[in-house]
Amino acid sequence: MKFFSQSFLYDDTWSIVSLAYFLRYPNPYASHVISCDVISREQTDNGTLMTTRLILKRGNLPRWIPKGLVSRAESWLVEESEVDPFGKVVKCTTKNLDNLKVMRVEESVQFRQTADGKTLQHSEVRIMSGFGWGLTKRIENYGITKFQSNLQRSRDGVSLILELIRQSRLQPMTLGGNTLLPPNRTEPCRSPEVTQRPDDIEAPRKGSWSKIRGWWSRQPPPS
Amino acid sequence: MAESLSPECTPLKMKYDSCFNSWFEGYLEPAVAARPEERAAYSKKKAEEFQRNCGKIWEEYKSCVQKAVKDKGLDKLLQQAREENPLKEPPTGSSPPPTSK
Repeated sequence: MKFFSQSFLYDDTWSIVSLAYFLRYPNPYASHVISCDVISREQTDNGTLMTTRLILKRGNLPRWIPKGLVSRAESWLVEESEVDPFGKVVKCTTKNLDNLKVMRVEESVQFRQTADGKTLQHSEVRIMSGFGWGLTKRIENYGITKFQSNLQRSRDGVSLILELIRQSRLQPMTLGGNTLLPPNRTEPCRSPEVTQRPDDIEAPRKGSWSKIRGWWSRQPPPS
Repeated sequence: MAESLSPECTPLKMKYDSCFNSWFEGYLEPAVAARPEERAAYSKKKAEEFQRNCGKIWEEYKSCVQKAVKDKGLDKLLQQAREENPLKEPPTGSSPPPTSK
């Protein structure tokens, strides 16, 4: 088994970083994400929010993996998260569900508010291959190297969403001007928006989300 | 807000995500102190708000996606993953020191 961990400090507050983290798909750094679904979500008695998501990712396998062992270069992942808005902690664990003979990957990430109002991200990964044939170590090393480079991309994605949230909060709230895209979009990382009318929602800062979605659409919402 | 795993669920997913995200943005910033009774009251209020605004679309999306999960046999994969849980060993301690910005 191989283990790797890394911490990273965001200058933004916990609530904005956490929001960006949950909104991170789609983004241009995550075009390998094919689908992402919430399969269960509930508020616990403690007031935390538990979510299970199923994610399908496209991956490129190295040439030295013997042909026929991996049915396709796509992988199902299950992501389980808990959000505690009082303690200001997000905990999130992701595991792969298939291709387990080749490699098991368990990633975990936490976001915690620091004393000075910034946000500390701590990421860990455990990789275990039971493959044998002299390839176990090579597969595990490959997995770790991939994780390290993906971590940077993942942070770039979150940072981009963060920037959009920041911009949206600087602007006066103009709601209801969101574009409704036709369903036959061509770019996989941009999604059509089915937006809320402002009187449908009660969130205190209901503007950011709608506006960010507006940015992703081809035409920016009228301001 | 990527696609749903099943194309027929994607429109429901988009509606649900949109509704949830608006709710979630407020949920992340409770305006109350963390005294247990205030916590409970806040959670209850947020749960009711979610139910009122997003409850219906959540039920529709959930039943669509749960059916798709079963149809694709993913429920078995999920079950297996929960039963096996082989990655519970403690870290090996060989990790490099954390870095920060």
